[in-house]
Amino acid sequence: MSEITLHELEKQYGETTAVEDVSVEIEDGELLCLLGPSGSGKSTTLRMIAGLETPTGGEISIDGDDVTDDPAYERTTSTVFQDWALFPHKTVRENVEFGLKMRGVPADEREQRAESMLERVQMTGYGEDDPTNLSGGQKQRVALARSLAVNPDVLLLDEPLSNLDKRLREDMQIELREIHEDLDETFVHVTHDQDEAFTLADRIGIMDQGELVQIGDPDEVYENPTNQFIESFLGDTNFVDARVTRTTGDAVYVDTELGTELVLPTDAEPAVDEGTALTLSLRPEILSIDQPSADGGTAADDTGEQLATDGSSRTAVTGTVENVIYRGSTVRYSADVDGTSMFAERTDASTGALSAGDRIRLEWNGADVLAFREDGTRVSL
Amino acid sequence: MTSTLHREQLENAAFRAGYGALLVFMLLPLLVVVVTSFSASGRIAFPPDSYSLVWYADFFESTRWLDAFTNSLIIGVGTALLATLLGVLGAFGQELETDSVVGSVVAPVVLIPLLIPPVILGITLLMYFNEVGLRGSYASIILAHTLWATPLVYFVMRSVFSRFDWQQLDAAHDLGAGPVRSFVHVVLPNVKHGIFVGGLLAFIISLQEFVMALFLSTPGTETIPVLAWTEIRQALDPMVSVVSTFLILISVGAIIVAAIATNLEWVSKQLS
Repeated sequence: MSEITLHELEKQYGETTAVEDVSVEIEDGELLCLLGPSGSGKSTTLRMIAGLETPTGGEISIDGDDVTDDPAYERTTSTVFQDWALFPHKTVRENVEFGLKMRGVPADEREQRAESMLERVQMTGYGEDDPTNLSGGQKQRVALARSLAVNPDVLLLDEPLSNLDKRLREDMQIELREIHEDLDETFVHVTHDQDEAFTLADRIGIMDQGELVQIGDPDEVYENPTNQFIESFLGDTNFVDARVTRTTGDAVYVDTELGTELVLPTDAEPAVDEGTALTLSLRPEILSIDQPSADGGTAADDTGEQLATDGSSRTAVTGTVENVIYRGSTVRYSADVDGTSMFAERTDASTGALSAGDRIRLEWNGADVLAFREDGTRVSL
Repeated sequence: MTSTLHREQLENAAFRAGYGALLVFMLLPLLVVVVTSFSASGRIAFPPDSYSLVWYADFFESTRWLDAFTNSLIIGVGTALLATLLGVLGAFGQELETDSVVGSVVAPVVLIPLLIPPVILGITLLMYFNEVGLRGSYASIILAHTLWATPLVYFVMRSVFSRFDWQQLDAAHDLGAGPVRSFVHVVLPNVKHGIFVGGLLAFIISLQEFVMALFLSTPGTETIPVLAWTEIRQALDPMVSVVSTFLILISVGAIIVAAIATNLEWVSKQLS
């Protein structure tokens, strides 16, 4: 039960900056996921909250108390490590009891608490086991029990699921979510897996090159990324190079490498000039797949754009299917559109199945397209 | 297929035979020493004309030899304790400070005493200990031997710590254990075998060190190698073989103890 404030947090190792200017308010009882590729500074940020790394700048406060200079063993946080870091010379129960022992809790009380923690993580009966003989998933549970046993104000999770196989990982995500709901404690969870972040998080903070580039609710981050890095990191997308040809009050017209002019409807006067180079993002889920109406139908029928009266614009391009990949529940079509490779997905393969060499028509609503400048910043449309 | 296998076996056997022969050739003097210690006559000859335990009886009646034995044990244990303390803390500290300047100079500094000829170290230390008033004390020889034993303990511990999972130390801190308690509860149990082996090594180094002890010892602190040297200069009798046999026994005993200590847990795990 604690809120955490990070203020302009910074960590440098010699010349390299691992974390730069990270400021965030983590609310009491929140489950925040720090998501980013490896080397983005997310684990370093977590370790600074734990007290295992000393920041070179900025402040950390927990519940209003400045803890920046407090060592890890004086903080009310507890960490579940990526490799679990169980003590190999102690039994499972001794591992779980360790934090309580350090806090001077009497032996019988320790044992009771350890038992109930093991029960919570479904490891009852493993108390006397040697942790080195456990499976990855079991070690992970013991590590979780060990951290929960000290009843921390903040639970910090440093990619604890990344060493588990997919099935187990998904089960543990749900269990973690349940434990979080039970305990109502503040959790900070670090991961590089966007599915995991979306499954677990109340809010997601995206980190890139040491900076917190965006923080928000999962759907907001996904639908409204502030830059191109986030758009590319949160799932597959088609990036298409484009150049602004003209702007009007309610639309931006761009020339693209797809060989057609596209219309991006806008609400307000867009902040882009004629000639600006843009990168457009067309997520597979906004693309609908069709076969062209007639073989080699005229360009006017099948491609190009119309600005509808309601401000939306249907745009379509045609291309040739290059390959078809069955990905279990979805089928992914890669297509060559005027020399540019694009892909789109369908959940149902049976209707109008296409195969390599077939003509394909991709259609989308111009309002669903996101546009980014060359420096990666998003153009608000 | 079978012929290559056959050739491989032959090569293996030849290599082992060569290796074994060389080992036996090098270790044979030890056998000579042990055998001559059972000689009945007053001079060393191999093989002895007749066998008896008279020299062993003499040894246990000679207060000078028994005192030297006690001195060697006191100095050996003292060296083992001090060198282990310094070597373990040095190696541990360096692991914590890998990036700092202090950390990068620890290894060369610790190594220096091993690179200085013991004769020079002996003379230098003799003058130095005279100056600070430690001459003739056990402490002077213990300190001299520690100079030599610490680097060995240090390098043993470096390799032991390199196999230690340092995330455990993070976990201990994270669970509320301060620097001392995390060392005692988490680091020590993981590296105790290494520490024990390092200490035994230091003990054996001290037990057999001769040159520095020759300079630094007085009649009251004379160690076995020093007394043996003095005795040999007067007469080469089988007493030296008796003493050498005891030294060999102690060293072999120490190695066996170390092997048992490091493997006992493993053995018990296999049995359970």
